[in-house]
Amino acid sequence: MKSKAVEIVNFTKKFGDFTAVDNLNLEIYENEVFGLLGPNGSGKTTTLLTIATVYKPTSGDIYVFGHSVTREDYVVRKLVGIAFQEPKAMWIDKPYDLLTWHARIVGYSMSDAKKIVREVMELLGLWEHRNKQFYQLSGGTRKKVELAKVLIQKPRVAILDEPTAQVDVLSKHALWDVIKKLRDEGTTVIIATNDMFEAERVCEKIAIIYKGKLRAMGTISELKDSIPRGDVIEIQYEGSRIPEKLFASLEEYGRIETQSSTLRIYVEKGEEKVLDVIDLFRKNNVKILRIMVKEPTLDDVFTYITGAKLREES
Amino acid sequence: MKNPDLRNNLKIILLVASWDLMKLKNQKVFLAMRIAWFTLQVLVFARAISYIVSQGILAYTGGVDYYYFYLLGIYTSLLYSTSISRGYVVADEFDDGIVEYHLSLPIKRSLFAVGRVLGCSLSTIIFTLPMMAVVYAILKVSNFLSILLSLIFALLFSIGIVGFVLLLVFAVRSADLTDILVGAIDALLVRLSTVFYPLPVIEATGIAPYYVAALMNPISHLSDFLRVLVFPEYYLVLRQGIVPTIVYMVAFSMGFLVIAIEYYERKLEAGGWK
Ligand SMILES: Nc1ncnc2c1ncn2[C@@H]1O[C@H](COP(=O)(O)OP(=O)(O)O)[C@@H](O)[C@H]1O
Ligand SMILES: [Mg+2]
Repeated sequence: MKSKAVEIVNFTKKFGDFTAVDNLNLEIYENEVFGLLGPNGSGKTTTLLTIATVYKPTSGDIYVFGHSVTREDYVVRKLVGIAFQEPKAMWIDKPYDLLTWHARIVGYSMSDAKKIVREVMELLGLWEHRNKQFYQLSGGTRKKVELAKVLIQKPRVAILDEPTAQVDVLSKHALWDVIKKLRDEGTTVIIATNDMFEAERVCEKIAIIYKGKLRAMGTISELKDSIPRGDVIEIQYEGSRIPEKLFASLEEYGRIETQSSTLRIYVEKGEEKVLDVIDLFRKNNVKILRIMVKEPTLDDVFTYITGAKLREES
Repeated sequence: MKNPDLRNNLKIILLVASWDLMKLKNQKVFLAMRIAWFTLQVLVFARAISYIVSQGILAYTGGVDYYYFYLLGIYTSLLYSTSISRGYVVADEFDDGIVEYHLSLPIKRSLFAVGRVLGCSLSTIIFTLPMMAVVYAILKVSNFLSILLSLIFALLFSIGIVGFVLLLVFAVRSADLTDILVGAIDALLVRLSTVFYPLPVIEATGIAPYYVAALMNPISHLSDFLRVLVFPEYYLVLRQGIVPTIVYMVAFSMGFLVIAIEYYERKLEAGGWK
């Protein structure tokens, strides 16, 4: 049995009258890469900052390896490292100075600090930017400086708030590998994101939160299986239209959408139905050019669960 | 507290303080401008003022030349305004959300608060070292002990002022509002002090609130302390002697330091500020 790295119990956070997070319950196990998925304003950052003891719960509590963020915040801070959504630096600051100071604060000796800072900066492609001032850096580079803090710290629980937002696509893939490596070295990683591709690529488990509430939780395939009519059978056929009779029989399997000579059927357990569908086409003498069963995307899952689009507010 | 604990805490405080010292590095141009302006002030304007002031002042300064009297006053007011602007850096960090980063660091928040106050005041001292050198060169001060004592009391003074500014920052949590408050206090505090006029002259005005304000003012205490260090004859001007000033300076700095830490801890511990 893996132990619980983070346990969120009846956590509510209000700002004045506004409830940013509403009675959240979550368990995150040691050595997982756990994703908090939701559009902007869902309460992801609020939750992460409370785990990091920067905010205090309005009610409920959060435990990091059994230590309460409200009663043992100092102990929690020694277990947690965070890369903020908004890079934390003044315009005049230089990455090398900030990271060296960070390394010293988290416990490295001066010589070890210099070593690890250089190592991490080179890994992230930051070394050439080390003595530039923050206002000269691109958004993506600033985000990498934020991530570098956590990589230097090697905390037991790493919190990454939208780590690859503003990062170019090529670097994104590299960062995802870096994040996985951090996990492989024993860190539990919690990532907030509104990028479903990122969630699919790096997260083993995902919690979908929307408007401050938990809507669903599970592994990616559990989430995808949880929605009825989750699969899509996509068929490209010869000719421009299909006979009425075939269409009617296909409709018994699920909702149909057509687009020129492509037909999509939304079904449950697509891999079981696909043979029947091929049979029906053959009986009706319509030639299939291409057929595939597609899984729903996390976007589909999100839309099904919340009735909203993941990207609508981002 | 056990010894290794103490040493470790001290190390953390100094590390935190190095945050502000690190920032100082990026302000060389600003510093050069301030040195140039200060030098101009003491070499040209201060001299002009001292010509205007009559010879009669000597009776009130224990025989110390007004120009020299004034130099230590304006060094003190420089320390004061630099301490305040260092404290502002913390206010700006609040507004920019950098406080969230600091609150997430694996250190005790009380040590963090001490470190920041010390960092701001140490960087004030370092920032004003060149100006101090200008003043002490003009005054031909070379006694090591005087210089050391001046620095120690300048640091105490700065700790008190920074603690006061941080208290305001935590209390109002907005750099803009702090700006207005400190601006108002700033305008008054330097004028209601012995930067420009010795205490007996202020007393002679017969305006009691003015006299009391100058008497209670940390700026008066530091400038008078520095004056006594450099010109022992100035001692005569202080009716109560130097001991109350020393006690005042220590109490002022430690008082605001402790209140600032207490407030910081209470406000910010476990994110209670949001
Ligand atoms: N410090 C704050 N004061 C007031 N409202 C806040 C504060 N922080 C966040 N909120 C509000 O709480 C909600 C959740 O915000 P946040 O946790 O940042 O969401 P996410 O990270 O998912 O985008 C938003 O509506 C936001 O406006
Ligand atoms: Mg956010």
